[in-house]
Amino acid sequence: MKRIFAIVAIALAAIGQAAVAQDAPAILAELDRLGDFSGVDFSAVYTIVSQKPGEKDTVTQVRMFRRDARKQFAMLIVLPEVNKGQGYLREDDNVWFYDPTSRKFSFSSIKENIQNSEAKNSDLTQRSILDDYDVSSVVEGVIGKIPVWILDLTAKTKDVSYERVVMHVRKDRTMLLKQEDYSVSGRLMRTSLYPKYAEISGRLMPSQMLFIDELNPGERSQLTMTEQSLSALPDKVFTKAFLEQVNK
Amino acid sequence: MNTIANIALRNLSRQKKRTILLGSAIAFGVMIVTLINGFAGAFSANVAENFSDLMAGHIFISGTEKGPDDKDVSVIRDDRALTSAVAASGAPIRYVTRRSAFSGTLIFEGKKLRTNVDGADLEKETFLRDRLLLKAGSWDAMAEGNALILSEKIARKLNVDVGDNLLVQLQTATGQNNVGEFRLAGISFDTGIFGQMMSYANLAYVNELLGLAPGEYQTMGIMLDGLKHTESAAAGIYDKLSGSVQLFERGAKGSDGAETPFQALIRQQKKESWEGVRYRLFTINEVLSQIKQIVAALDTTAAVILVVLFVIIMVGIANTFSMVMFERIGEIGTMRALGVQRGGVRSMFLFEALFLALGGAVAGIALALVAMGVISLFDFGMDSPAFLIMRNGHLSFFLPPLRAVGNVAIIAVLTLIAVASPAGKAARLTPAEALRTQK
Repeated sequence: MKRIFAIVAIALAAIGQAAVAQDAPAILAELDRLGDFSGVDFSAVYTIVSQKPGEKDTVTQVRMFRRDARKQFAMLIVLPEVNKGQGYLREDDNVWFYDPTSRKFSFSSIKENIQNSEAKNSDLTQRSILDDYDVSSVVEGVIGKIPVWILDLTAKTKDVSYERVVMHVRKDRTMLLKQEDYSVSGRLMRTSLYPKYAEISGRLMPSQMLFIDELNPGERSQLTMTEQSLSALPDKVFTKAFLEQVNK
Repeated sequence: MNTIANIALRNLSRQKKRTILLGSAIAFGVMIVTLINGFAGAFSANVAENFSDLMAGHIFISGTEKGPDDKDVSVIRDDRALTSAVAASGAPIRYVTRRSAFSGTLIFEGKKLRTNVDGADLEKETFLRDRLLLKAGSWDAMAEGNALILSEKIARKLNVDVGDNLLVQLQTATGQNNVGEFRLAGISFDTGIFGQMMSYANLAYVNELLGLAPGEYQTMGIMLDGLKHTESAAAGIYDKLSGSVQLFERGAKGSDGAETPFQALIRQQKKESWEGVRYRLFTINEVLSQIKQIVAALDTTAAVILVVLFVIIMVGIANTFSMVMFERIGEIGTMRALGVQRGGVRSMFLFEALFLALGGAVAGIALALVAMGVISLFDFGMDSPAFLIMRNGHLSFFLPPLRAVGNVAIIAVLTLIAVASPAGKAARLTPAEALRTQK
C-alpha cells in the first residue's frame, strides 16, 4: 500500500511539474506583455542612486522616451550637471550615444551601463524574454513570505547580455520580484530586485529597482521611476536632431 | 668676381664683432629649426618601432566573421591559407605571433582596474620571455592554464601579489558578459606608459573567456627584420592572400579624408556584408598614420619658427647693412672712381650677406648636431611618459640631409633679400657724390 501511495505521489508531482513547465512560457509571455507599450508612447523619469564603497553616493537622472512599436527610444541625461545633455538614441538594433561637448554621435549598445551605475540601457527598455531565452527549469520557492516560480532561463541568442538568467516571479500575480544574471562561465554577476510596481493602463512597470553588483561587493544602484506617462510623443523625439536640439 | 668676393670676405673679417653677432643670430635660428626637424625626423620611426614591439608585429592580419543578425565576430578559425601566403610572400620575417585579446576589468579585494589582456602562445612566443623581464614570480608558473602576468604598476594599483587569484570581467567575442579567474604568475618591470597597460595570459584561457575554440585566435602579427620592409612585405602578403581568402580592400580612405586608413577599414567592415571569415591586413604605419600628421605639424612649426626668427634677424641685417653702407660711403666712392662698376658694388654687399648667411647656417647646423648628440646621451628610462617617442629610453634625432640643405638655401635667399635694398643704394651712388659725402 505504501508503495502505491509513493507511486501516486510521484506521478502527481510529475504531472504538477509538467503543468508548470507548460505554464513557464505563458509566464514569460505575460512578463513580456506587461512591459510592452506597443501602440502607445511611454515616457518617465528615472533617478538612479549609485553606491560604491569608499565613494560618495552619485545621483543620475535620465528622462526616457519609448516607442516600443518601432523599437525606438531616446534617453536624455538630466543629472549630474556635468553630463547633462548627453543622450542615447535607439532605432531598431542601432544605439547611438550623443556627447554635446564634442557634438558627435558614437555607436553604443543596449548592453551598456547607464553612466557609472549598475543599471543597463536594456533595463529601461522593452524586452522580449520569450524570444531571447529558453526555460531550463521551473521550481517553486518563496521570497520573504511570497510564493514564487523560480524560472531558470538559458539564452537562445548571443544578443543578450547574460547567458543564464534566473527569474523569481510572483505566483498569485505575474510580477518579477527578483532576477539573477549569470556570466557565460556560470558566475553570478548581478542580482536585481523589483520591490515596487506601478500600474499604467493595465500594464505593470517596476517603479523601484535595486541592482546589486555581485562581483564588486558593496556596489549597488537603486532606480526610482517617476512622472510616468502614456501621452503621445512627437516623432522628432526619436531623431538625432532632437538630442542635438535640446542642447542648444 | 673673385676680387669682389675677396673684398667681401675681407670686409667681414674687418668687423669681427659685428660679423660674429650677426652670424650668431643666424646660427641660433638655424640650430633651433634643425633641432625641431631632427626630432620630427626620428619621431615617426621611433613611435612605429615602439608600437611594433608592444603589438608584436609590423604587419597584422585579423579575421571578422559575420554572425547571425549581421553581428561581427573577431576570429581566425583556420589560418592555413594565411600561413601559406605569408611564407610564399618571401617577406623578411623575424617571427609570427598568434594572439587573442580583450579589454576587461580586473577585480581584487574591492579594487578594480581596466586593462588589456593579450592571450599568447607562450611556448612559441619565446621572445616575450626575453623582452618582458619579471620583477616577481616566474615564467614557469605560466604553465598553469589561468596564469597571468601583470605590470608592476597594475599589480601595485590592485595591491595584488604573485599567487593571488583575481577576477576578470569582460565580454565574449559575441558580446556576452563573462567572468574569469586568473592566478597571478608574475609581475613584470614597467616598460613605458603603454607597457604598463598590457597584461599577458595563455592564449587557450583567453580563448575560453572570449568563447573561441582551442586553436582559434583573433590576430596574426608578423614581425619583420625592420620597419623599412613593412609596406613592401605587406603588399606581397596581400597579393598572395587575395587569391585564396576573402579580403577587405587596403588603403581605403574616408570621403572627407579625416579618417586614417585603419579607421576606414573598420568603417568598411561595418557597412559590408559577407559569409564566413573575411580578413583585413593592416600595417603599423596605417594604425599610426595620424603620427604623420603630428610630424607634418612639427615640420610646419619648424618652418614658421624659421620664418619668424629670420624676419626678425633680417630686419637686423638690413639695418646693419644700411649702416655699413654709410660707414663705407667714402670707400665706395673711391672704388667707383677707380673703375668698379655699379654691379660690382652691389655684388660686394650681396657676397658679404651670402657669406654671413652660409657661415651662420653651417655653424647652426653644427651646433644642432652637437646638441642632438648631447641630448641623446641622457637616459630617460623605459618607464618615462615619453617612452613612445624615444629609442630605448633615449631621445633620438634624424635630420634628413635635403631638409638641412633646404634650410640653408632659405636662409641664404632671405639674407640676400634683406641686403638687396642697402646694396642697391650703395650701387646707385655716383663716385663724385660718394666722395663728397661726409660721415
